[in-house]
Amino acid sequence: MPRRIVSLFRNLLRKHTVEQALDDELQSSVEILAQEKMKDGLSRTVALRQALIELGGVEQVKEEVRAIRVGRFLENFVRNLRLALRTMAKTPSFTAVVILTLALGIGANTTIFAMVSRFVLHTAPVGDPPTLFTLHTTDHNQCCNNFSWPLFTDVRDNAKSFSGVAGFYELLPASISGSGDPQRLWGQAASTNFFDVTQLGMTLGRGFRSDEQNSPVIVLGDRVWKSRFSSDPNILGKSIALSGHPYTVIGVAPPYFRGIDLILDTQFWVPIGNIDQLLPNTGHFDWRNYHWIAVAARLKPGVSRAEAAAELQLLSQRFAQAHPDTEKNLGFHFDRAGSLPPRDKSVILVFLSTLMLVVFLVLLIACANVGNLFLARAAGRQHEIAVRIALGATRGQLLRQVLTESVLFSLIGGLFGVLISVWATGGLSTFRFPVPVTLDLNVGIDYKVLLFTFLLSLATGVLFGLLPAWTAAWGSPSTALKGEDVLASPGRFWTLRNLLVVAQISMSLVLLCVTGLCLRSLRSASSISIGFRSSGVLAMSIDPRLHSYTPERTVQFLIELQRRCSVVPGVSSAAATDALPLSGGHRSDGFQAVGKKPLDPTPIVELYMASPGYLDTLGIHLLNGRDFSNESASSPRVAIVNQVFADTFFPHENPLGQSVSSGGITYEIIGVTNNIKSRFLGEDLRPVLFRSLPQTVASDPSFEGYTILARTAADSTSVATSVRSVIRDMDPTLAVFNKQTMEHHVREALFLPRLAGTLFAVFGTVGLLLAAIGLYGVMNHTVSLRIREIAIRMALGAQASSVLRHFLRRGLQLTAIALAIGLPAAFVIAKLFNSILYGIKPNDAITFVSIPLFLAFVTLLASYIPARSATKLDPMTALRYE
Amino acid sequence: MEPLGDCYRIPIRGAMSEKRTDLLRGTLDLLVLKALSLEPLHGVGISRRIKQMTMGAFQVSFGSLFPSLHRMEERGWVEAEWRTSENNRRAKYYRLTSLGRAQLKVEERDWNHVVKVMKAAVQSA
Repeated sequence: MPRRIVSLFRNLLRKHTVEQALDDELQSSVEILAQEKMKDGLSRTVALRQALIELGGVEQVKEEVRAIRVGRFLENFVRNLRLALRTMAKTPSFTAVVILTLALGIGANTTIFAMVSRFVLHTAPVGDPPTLFTLHTTDHNQCCNNFSWPLFTDVRDNAKSFSGVAGFYELLPASISGSGDPQRLWGQAASTNFFDVTQLGMTLGRGFRSDEQNSPVIVLGDRVWKSRFSSDPNILGKSIALSGHPYTVIGVAPPYFRGIDLILDTQFWVPIGNIDQLLPNTGHFDWRNYHWIAVAARLKPGVSRAEAAAELQLLSQRFAQAHPDTEKNLGFHFDRAGSLPPRDKSVILVFLSTLMLVVFLVLLIACANVGNLFLARAAGRQHEIAVRIALGATRGQLLRQVLTESVLFSLIGGLFGVLISVWATGGLSTFRFPVPVTLDLNVGIDYKVLLFTFLLSLATGVLFGLLPAWTAAWGSPSTALKGEDVLASPGRFWTLRNLLVVAQISMSLVLLCVTGLCLRSLRSASSISIGFRSSGVLAMSIDPRLHSYTPERTVQFLIELQRRCSVVPGVSSAAATDALPLSGGHRSDGFQAVGKKPLDPTPIVELYMASPGYLDTLGIHLLNGRDFSNESASSPRVAIVNQVFADTFFPHENPLGQSVSSGGITYEIIGVTNNIKSRFLGEDLRPVLFRSLPQTVASDPSFEGYTILARTAADSTSVATSVRSVIRDMDPTLAVFNKQTMEHHVREALFLPRLAGTLFAVFGTVGLLLAAIGLYGVMNHTVSLRIREIAIRMALGAQASSVLRHFLRRGLQLTAIALAIGLPAAFVIAKLFNSILYGIKPNDAITFVSIPLFLAFVTLLASYIPARSATKLDPMTALRYE
Repeated sequence: MEPLGDCYRIPIRGAMSEKRTDLLRGTLDLLVLKALSLEPLHGVGISRRIKQMTMGAFQVSFGSLFPSLHRMEERGWVEAEWRTSENNRRAKYYRLTSLGRAQLKVEERDWNHVVKVMKAAVQSA
């Protein structure tokens, strides 16, 4: 309807002309009517009067005409908006408090939703994400494992539901040439159809050709292309050194692609046939029981997910019959590409949904608070509103006006909330998982988060605006016109405001209890005995295997490196090992004692390689027996175990001299140490076995390289430089990674308790502040309403203390009810946190006694302050108070 | 407000029953279009013509007439221009557009349909 749009613009933009024309028309109508009447013999004055009466009043008709104009709604909206802005500017402190409150509540939600969006809602960064799936194998329906090479080829060649099935080794370490010091990176070895199945558009060049399975070609990730090859546009066809082998660059992946999943930070891709060369001494890549290959499959157009699942089900039965020894209970697990790893999914989802719940509580508290502030203000505006209703304003109009204002507040609050969460997600992104693999855990604000925040702000505005709007528009105008407070409802305890305060305090209680638990957990986590001394120890890692070192040369290199490091000035002792404890799990295997009844189930033992001096350097105490000395690869295998190991396998016996075996290798126990934490800080103690490094490198090489440890007395940064130069002197091509102090490493191991502690401390404080402000506001208002009554009572001889007691009792009543509601709720919610608490139980007595007391104290204070100021007033002033 | 005797009063917007208003507002549109179908008229003229056409039964209040006229103008059913009236006064005259004529046909047909149906309904009892 173009004509109406023209009218709309005319009505809005040329309002003055339109109004003038209407006025002219009505004036001329009055004249015409008056002239008619003058013809009947009336005087001009009388005729004009009668004409006006017949017309029904010029202004009234104008109002009727305006009401039907196009754009009337918009005009009203703009008017309401102007009014709202004016009110906001008139009460800056009120405005600031409301906006800050909302910004905190909405910002908390935005931040957590940003995490949800990043880890749960994101689709894989591939072409046509909905039809790409990741496959896992299951055993006895138990989730989930990778594929073996033969199983992968079986599925690839037999499954008809897929247009392509790609396999890839997810974590391939390699050192890469280019500018600067050699650097160790993580890449993937993929089947040649990888880039076709993922349907990726390349920044430069192409993916693999089908005849390149064993060719030395490489696709670079965007970041490594930019940082190490300075975005060289002519890089295609050039040869680069990957772990010392020449590879020809054939393509550069787009910047958003770092692998199909959204967590690993993959920086290069090579054809899968090169894996033997890049991971030497690993072997078994073609075994049917060696599960090493991750699989992604592209659904054929027109095939549904259910059909594909049914076909896989059939295939798994066929494979089980064909290979009963390895695939008897085989099944397949099916997931949208880019979903969380199936094994960790549920834990992450629980963590995120609990967080969502908590921030939602914060927002509800904020809403209750702001609603209360608005109620208090609405009370002051009752007179105005009543007058407007009496003058003919409809309730709809009033409702629209109040809602315009509250939504405006919440949208501005949301805007600041986004700013808060930009800052907060920046902070979150600096948290690091203590794992040797590089992960991409950056959280940012994307369009989904912005949309969520917008809708949330809108809903918030309606929620906290509706209550005051409702009471304002539906309160009885006659009461308000007489100057009485329609919301005061004298004598009634359950007023809307009191309800809001009770809700607020009980929600704060839940929040504070959770906060208390997390903070206590953080405290107990940082005082957990880890079993070794982290201070003054320096660690850095190398992976000689990536530089084509033989196992023998690796051992020689490590022993020599240890010797040279131990004479660096400032170093008191040095040692070599494979991986550091508290890295989230490294090597572990089932063990049995030789010559004893086998334990059932087979105990899983944590394995570390250790050079002589390892125990000293890390400060692990030898309780019994001796340290490694100069074992050689060919001499009988020896091992040192921890106390838990000894107690598990040799209760009431001397473990020294006993033998244990695993995977066909027998170790003689030569020493027993104190217990150490192996994977995580919060774990129950696990059995640990230290193997002699020279005896193990050949038979069971580390996938993540080797670490040199140096205990320093002096400043560790200067020593770090010296140790780095020792490595450079011995082999300048070696890439050094994970340079850090043990202290730093242990701090990273506090990741989860620290993250939870930080988040909840912030949310808890915000919630408490809001609740205290809310209660203070309500008590203040209650007192101000009764100030005359107080004055009369005091003038008649009431003691200040009895007045004070009265109000304190009021505050306490509200608090007591709130605690009665909040405590059981807090108990239930705290149970959800069990999995992330360290060293304390979810029904921790200290938390559940101290937090309610603390909250009661705060609420008491919030009611005491306004009550006391009322009793301090001069009765004469108070009596005249309006 | 002026009592209107026994003649019908076309209810103004915002009256109690929206449904009823809609029906009657439609009727008003029809009357206005019909009044303008012979010659252009100004607001007062339209009111007088409707009174005359309905033999005095309908007297349209200006509070309903002017909004109706402005709405029809926004929809392009009528056009307005300022002319000098018979009494030598300037007045805003409304004239049917071709769109308005088409609308008049539609409204007339609808109205006839309503009358036929209503008549049958009332007589059936």
